[in-house]
Amino acid sequence: MRRALALALLFAAGCSREPASEKRLIVLGFDGMDHALTKELMEAGRLPNFSRLAEAGSFQALETSVPPQSPVAWSNFITGMDSGGHGIFDFLHRDPETMVPYLSTTDVSGGGTTIEVGGYQFPLSGGSIELLRKGRTFWEVLENHGVETTIIRMPANFPPSGTATRELTGMGTPDLPGTIGTFSFYTSKLFAFAGQDISGGEVYEVDIFDNVVEAALYGPDNPFLVETEKVTSPFTVYLDPVDPVAKIVAGAEELILREGEWSEWVTVEFPLIPTQTLAGMVRFYLRSVRPDFELYASPVNFDPMAPPLPISTPGGYAAELARATGRFYTQGMPEDTKAIEQGVLTTEEFLAQAEIAGREIREQYRYVLDRFQTGLLFYYVGNVDQVSHVMWKVREPDHPEYDPEVDPEYEGLIEDLYVGLDEMVGYTLDHMGEDTTLVVMSDHGFTSFRRSFHLNAWLAHKGYLAVKNPDLENDPGLFVNVDWTGTRAYGVGLNALYVNLRGREKNGIVAPEKREALMDEIAEQLLGEIDPATGLPAVTKMYKREEVYRDRGELEIGPDLIVGYAKGTRGSGRSALGAVGKEIITDNLDEWSGDHEMDHETVPGVLLTSRPLKRPASSLKELGRSILVEFGIDEPIQPTEETE
Amino acid sequence: MSLINAPLRVLFDIVLAPFSDWPPLVGLTLISLLTAVGLLVVFKHTSNQKALDAVKRKIHAGLFEIRLFNDDFRQIVRSQLEILRHNLSYLRHSSVPLVWTLPPLVLVIAQLQFHYGYEGLAVGKPALVKVELGSGHSTDSKPAMVLTTPDGIRVDTPAVWIPSLGEMTWRIVPEVPGDYELSIMNRGETVTKTARVVSGTVRRSPVRVRGFLDELLYPAEPPVPAGEIQAIHVSYPETNVSVFGFELHWMIVYFVLSIVFAFVLRGPFGVTI
Repeated sequence: MRRALALALLFAAGCSREPASEKRLIVLGFDGMDHALTKELMEAGRLPNFSRLAEAGSFQALETSVPPQSPVAWSNFITGMDSGGHGIFDFLHRDPETMVPYLSTTDVSGGGTTIEVGGYQFPLSGGSIELLRKGRTFWEVLENHGVETTIIRMPANFPPSGTATRELTGMGTPDLPGTIGTFSFYTSKLFAFAGQDISGGEVYEVDIFDNVVEAALYGPDNPFLVETEKVTSPFTVYLDPVDPVAKIVAGAEELILREGEWSEWVTVEFPLIPTQTLAGMVRFYLRSVRPDFELYASPVNFDPMAPPLPISTPGGYAAELARATGRFYTQGMPEDTKAIEQGVLTTEEFLAQAEIAGREIREQYRYVLDRFQTGLLFYYVGNVDQVSHVMWKVREPDHPEYDPEVDPEYEGLIEDLYVGLDEMVGYTLDHMGEDTTLVVMSDHGFTSFRRSFHLNAWLAHKGYLAVKNPDLENDPGLFVNVDWTGTRAYGVGLNALYVNLRGREKNGIVAPEKREALMDEIAEQLLGEIDPATGLPAVTKMYKREEVYRDRGELEIGPDLIVGYAKGTRGSGRSALGAVGKEIITDNLDEWSGDHEMDHETVPGVLLTSRPLKRPASSLKELGRSILVEFGIDEPIQPTEETE
Repeated sequence: MSLINAPLRVLFDIVLAPFSDWPPLVGLTLISLLTAVGLLVVFKHTSNQKALDAVKRKIHAGLFEIRLFNDDFRQIVRSQLEILRHNLSYLRHSSVPLVWTLPPLVLVIAQLQFHYGYEGLAVGKPALVKVELGSGHSTDSKPAMVLTTPDGIRVDTPAVWIPSLGEMTWRIVPEVPGDYELSIMNRGETVTKTARVVSGTVRRSPVRVRGFLDELLYPAEPPVPAGEIQAIHVSYPETNVSVFGFELHWMIVYFVLSIVFAFVLRGPFGVTI
């Protein structure tokens, strides 16, 4: 009886418990929203809801990270630290013991010991997946103070931190094969992409037999097989012999597509062993039935109803969202910029795909906002960033990649995307309630990418980097052509420059006492490098890690120098992956025509608030703490002796 | 089969109609209860209750022997063999009522599948209509087959003709909720197929077929009349029943509830099972 009474009292206490905070704050994170362009459009009256915010609260430029790359910038926001503290310095880091580059935010490792039976192997322990970002998240501090937090698609947060009430992972979440997104393209057109190095996707030649195409989707390597072999999910396409329409049978699903049509999400299964399968999902785009068959398949995304790796907190939250508003892109960056870059999707097709991704996010936002009751809601939108990367050229007829035949049709496209964000803000203002504070922010701005700087080629030209074969025509990258015995410095990632230091690098040759002088020398030379096409400096800022990063703990894994390219110039992608090449600065003739990975002072982000913040923030690093103060918590995000 | 299926369709529609707007678990609970009562009654009258009672007591005795003589290995083995023998006797005694209950149970399950196994077509969500032709169809050219839909359902694509499978498929998009009849015209014959764009627990027919076994398994609609068309499919999404937040196949819920009700009611009904 006494026990029953105690239980009843506990239950009553639980029912009447008041939430720790009734405060409501919404943060809309718009990746890549540029301050200058936002200001221009506001002044032109095209962003009325942004202007409403500016009048009621504030509108300012927000200092971005060094370098201004999304994983770095969002990590600054999340932890209130710079790279020296959170340990994310660039998209890519290198392991100095092996000189192999790896993704900076996440480490996925397979199982340990295995038992082999015939051609099969059975792991005795599971694999692991680790978020490499260090430090406490600002929402963990909120949760510790009893504030509910909902963090949707925060970049550099895969696997989910697990410290929010609800989380869904975003940028950094891989596709099923474990890449950042690998599309598939099936064609009967012989030699359609012969000799072309397809990056970010695979092209498969298929045969049409009796109006039937048999093909397969590819997943990761099968961990149960001793011999490396990718798991596959076969599908069949039946082509109508008369009309431009086809039926696709994939697993248990059947669908019909007309030419030029995108499918809904199709769930597929990849059998590993008879008792184990991997669940994924894919969107098809039927480009052509005849004369040549052409079918695009999106990267295989995790099925949010049964993800093979954690993508939400709690585990079932992703499935709840999928049940409510339909399946959605779980892959971190859903807009398939690789497919348009490789010429697999046309501009029109890419924009249709980006629109699908954007629509999913907007529909899901309405659901999340409807259920937001108290605490913090962070919601990320990456559409503008990804589309701007490949469509920025349409704003600049003098851009080297501008196509006068096609691009005039898309004039104003980027601006229209900003108008779309403004409508999202308007919807939020209309539905968030009077006592809610709205913060709109971006991680960095955006600008033109006209000139490509090949850092490793420059280092080779200046004698800092030695090559094995100076006549190599197609450098495969990954430092294959680098002669470490004569190399004093090298570049990995888009802004990172490392000294080949003795005792740190596998084949280091620079004595530690000569490191500082070498960095000064390289920095001075890079700052003096003039782009022959413009007559202007190619690099406007050089940062030493010890000087630019105030936070410590992870500093040692960072690059020795960070290159701040001049506005309009960016480090080349090939050099970022360890290729050397011969040319130093070239026109950027890739579809990837806009960027932000330059001198960080030239590409600030945006901060708009619906009321003045109690603790103003001028940089991403400060914004997290300003959010804490809005909830009456005036303490640093990272624990110190005073706070812990 | 039509003579059996037609009245059963009507019966189940009538019995489950009051529960169509309730969560599926409600109607399923009632049907499970009725099933349990039916099974108990049949079991009582078709089984040798005294023999069952005796064999159960012998099984219990064997179990007690194992507990009492747990230090005597040979006795334990002997008892286990006895239990096994009595279990076989139990199965033999149960086989007669099983023969009486299994056929009606198959008919009941076939009916329930089309009330609880599928959800309705949804407005704006595409679905497929597939027609299967018999083996005698021509593969030379695309058949001049026409799908006609009433207002409220739009035919969204030309048909895909797959000669090797003798199959013609269209994509349709429901635009207004309701119960519809689709018409397929082929070589002068017209065959209809129901399409239900309604939520709630109602009978939905994913396929209209012909043939004894097919009609046994798919009783939700009268058989396709004799002719070139063998079957017509409408792609209703499969669904599960929500039980306290868990999504379970309706058949699991049905069997578990029926067994629970049977055990609870075996005393009041005076049945040994």
